[in-house]
Amino acid sequence: MKTISRRDKLKIYGDLLSALRSEASEERVVLTRVQVRINVPFDRLKSYITELKELDFIEDETSLKLTEKGNQYLREYKKILDFMKRMGLIYQ
Amino acid sequence: MSASMYPAERMIVEVVAAILCFVIVRFMVKPYKLTREGSYLGLPLGFTFLGMSYALAALVYSPLGFNPELMWLPQLTRTFAFVFLATTYLFSNRKSKSSKLLGETTISLLIIALAISFLLAFIAPQFAFADYSKANAYLRFFNVFCLAYIAICTLRSHIKNPDPTTIWIPFGFIFLAIGQYSLLFWYIDASLSAFVGSQVVSFVGLAIFLFVAYRTFYSSDKKK
Repeated sequence: MKTISRRDKLKIYGDLLSALRSEASEERVVLTRVQVRINVPFDRLKSYITELKELDFIEDETSLKLTEKGNQYLREYKKILDFMKRMGLIYQ
Repeated sequence: MSASMYPAERMIVEVVAAILCFVIVRFMVKPYKLTREGSYLGLPLGFTFLGMSYALAALVYSPLGFNPELMWLPQLTRTFAFVFLATTYLFSNRKSKSSKLLGETTISLLIIALAISFLLAFIAPQFAFADYSKANAYLRFFNVFCLAYIAICTLRSHIKNPDPTTIWIPFGFIFLAIGQYSLLFWYIDASLSAFVGSQVVSFVGLAIFLFVAYRTFYSSDKKK
């Protein structure tokens, strides 16, 4: 059970960081738009954002800008997903 | 041409193939590290055992260590390597909890089966070593079957989501399968061309895996 919840969280963190990075080009980050993109309830989205802050993946909970650590995680996450796709493995 | 011919050349070939495999393991462990799903453990385990089989073959063909009875060692390890890889593809795309549990159980059982096989073969020899050639042919046939299954899985995945980057891996597995298939011919008619061909295509297969891994993890960094 622990393994499954960890996997889910890794995927959600990856999707959330990816959504936040693409939102960074906008004037301000609209949380409801992020919520729609990653498809999680709003209260859970808020708790994930708090967790990302605790992990030092985002600068603060208002600007929601990715830190260098957050960007690095996202880069590595995308590379591994790309590698799995190239290997013919689908991670859902 | 018997298995003991060209030992020095074979030893060099096996050592280089082992090094290639161990480098590939470094990349194959990453999906497991990210997901912590037991079914993905088959990838690093498969390439580790494949590398071990090449290393053991190098030892068997070394001038000091050649012993026909030891030929079971690389052969069994190689077969288990391909079974680990096939298990990964069998269970990785199934997302139900029971499939995941089944995948993890299968990987665990395979490790136990591997340990028991070695115990049976070497601690208390139970196999008739005289039948090595026949058993070797069956095992190689089974290897071709496992590799063909993986090639079909990867091709199916490529057809579902066509992308130029996903076509390489099916070819990698196809080349490994052809390598095993050629070795079958080598054992049947002792043809030198079948033996050399099998070594060449196996190398090409391993090189494809390394190329794909390198392109994924390093070439994108260089572009930045």
